[in-house]
Amino acid sequence: MPAKVVGEEKVKKSPSFVKPWLGLKYLFKKPVTIKIPEEKIEPAPKYRGFHTLDWKKCVGCNFCGQICPARAIEMTWIEVDGKMEKRPHPKIDYGRCTFCQFCVDVCPTGALGFIESYILTTTGDEEELQLYDWVPIHPDKFKEIQDQYRDWRFPVEKIEVNEETREVTYYLRNGETFKFKIVGYGIRPPKPPTKPAPKKEEKKDSKQ
Amino acid sequence: MFGTFLKALLIILYATFVGFMFMGIIRKVTARIHRRIGPPIYQPIIDTIKFLSKKENITHGIIYDFGIIFALGATILALMFIPLGSISIMRAYGDLILITFLLEIPMLGIMFAAMSSGNPYAGIGAQRALLTLLAIQVPLGFAIVALAEFYGTFSTYEIVMAQQTSGWSIFHLPLLLAAIAYDIVLQAMFGKEPFDIMIAPGEISLGPMVEFGGKHMGILQIQHAMGLFAETLFFSNIFLGGAVITTFSSPILNTLATLAVLLVKQLAVLLIAIFVSTIFPRFTIDQAAKFYWKWPTIIAALGAILASL
Ligand code: SF4
Ligand code: SF4
Repeated sequence: MPAKVVGEEKVKKSPSFVKPWLGLKYLFKKPVTIKIPEEKIEPAPKYRGFHTLDWKKCVGCNFCGQICPARAIEMTWIEVDGKMEKRPHPKIDYGRCTFCQFCVDVCPTGALGFIESYILTTTGDEEELQLYDWVPIHPDKFKEIQDQYRDWRFPVEKIEVNEETREVTYYLRNGETFKFKIVGYGIRPPKPPTKPAPKKEEKKDSKQ
Repeated sequence: MFGTFLKALLIILYATFVGFMFMGIIRKVTARIHRRIGPPIYQPIIDTIKFLSKKENITHGIIYDFGIIFALGATILALMFIPLGSISIMRAYGDLILITFLLEIPMLGIMFAAMSSGNPYAGIGAQRALLTLLAIQVPLGFAIVALAEFYGTFSTYEIVMAQQTSGWSIFHLPLLLAAIAYDIVLQAMFGKEPFDIMIAPGEISLGPMVEFGGKHMGILQIQHAMGLFAETLFFSNIFLGGAVITTFSSPILNTLATLAVLLVKQLAVLLIAIFVSTIFPRFTIDQAAKFYWKWPTIIAALGAILASL
C-alpha cells in the first residue's frame, strides 16, 4: 500500500487581500491577559518547585546527589542545638538545579519532596545570593508558609552564614528563625572540630 | 512678530503632544488587536523622557548630530506650512509640492545620520529607505497632480476652502482614487507595516536607527511624533475637507472646535494605518518597489486623468 499523502491542492491556500482583515475581530474583545501584580495565577498542583526535606527521614544515602544531572546536591553534616545529625543531609544549590525532581523520585525514604512554590528573586549582593544555597526545610513548615502567603515565593527571607562559627540562620517569612551549624561536607563524617587544628600543626612540623 | 512666534511655539507644542498621543494610540490599538492590554497611552512620553535623560551619548561626528536636528527641523517647517484649521503661520505659501517635499526630508536627515555612523545595518537600512522613498514618489506625484488638476490650485489652504463649498475630496471619484493611492503611500511615510522596510525590526535590527541612543533617539521620537501629526494633518486637509469652523461667535470656541474636528479626522487616518499595519506582514524591498510602481501608480494615474477630463 502506498503511503498516505494528502494532496497538495488540499493544503495549499490561495492568497487573499480580504481575509487578513478578519484579524481585526479581536479589537473589541476582552484582552486575554493576566495582570500579574494585581491578579494571581495558581500553579498546577505538584508543580515542580522548591524542595522540602524531612530531616528525620533522610538516611544520608546520597542517592539524590548521584542522580542529580546538574550536580546541585552536596551532602552536608549538620549540627542542630549542639547535637550532630547522625547522617548527612543534601544541600541544594538553586544556581545549578534544573528542577527535574529526579532527586525526589530516587529518594528511597521519601525524605526529599517538592512543593509548588517557585518564585525566588534576589539582587546581585553576595548576602542575598546565599538564598540559593540551602538545606531544605521540613515539608510541613514549608506548606504552612505557602498556605499563609499563597504567593509562591521562597519561604526564607534571608540566610545568614557566620563564617567563623559556621552557624547558619534561616529567617523564615513568618518571622521565625531557624538555626543550625554546618560542620562539614561530603559523605564521610567530618573529624571532630578539635582534631584538625593539631593535625595542621603536625604537618607544618613535618615540613619544616 | 512676537505673536507669530508664540503661535508657532503653540503649534509645535500641540503637534508634539498629539503626536505622542498618536504613538500611544498606535501601541494601544495594536495591543488590543493582539488581545493584549498594552502600555498606557502616555507611554511614548515616558520613553522619550527616559531617552533624553540618558547619561551617555554616542556620537559619530557632526553629520551624525546634524542629520537628526535636520530631520526635526524639516518636520517643524512642514508643520508651519500645513493649515491647522484657521490657524497657521505660512498657510499662504503652503503649497502641495512644498509640503509633500518637506514631509520626506526627515527621512533624508535620518539617512544622513545613519550613514555617518558607519554601521552596516544602518547602511542597509538607509539603502532600503531611499529605495522606498524613490518608489513612493510616483503614486505620490500622480495624487498631487490629480488634486491640483481638480482644484486648479496648488495651495493647500485654497483646497481646504474649496472643499468647504464643494464637499470633501474623497467624494469625487478622481480624488477618491488619489486618496487611496496617497493612503497606501502614507503607510510607508509612517514607517508602518507592510512598508516598514527601512526600519524592519527583526530583519535588519532597526535599520537606520540601529546606532542611535540617548538624546539622539529622544529627538527622533519627538520628530516621529510630529511627523505623525503633520502627515495625518496633511491628509485630512487635502482629502477629508480639513476644517474651518465658523459656527460659533467666539474665535476661541471656533478654534477649539476646529482642532477637535481635525483631530477626529486625523485619528481616522491613523486608525486605518494601524489596522493595515497589524494585519499585513512586511514586504521585501523589491516587492515594495514593484508594488508601488504598479497598483498605487495605476490608481493615482487614473485619478489624475479623470481629474483633468
Ligand atoms: S531537582 Fe534535579 S537538578 Fe535539582 S537537585 Fe534535584 S536532581 Fe538535581
Ligand atoms: S534525601 Fe533521600 S536520597 Fe537524598 S540522602 Fe536523604 S534519603 Fe538519600
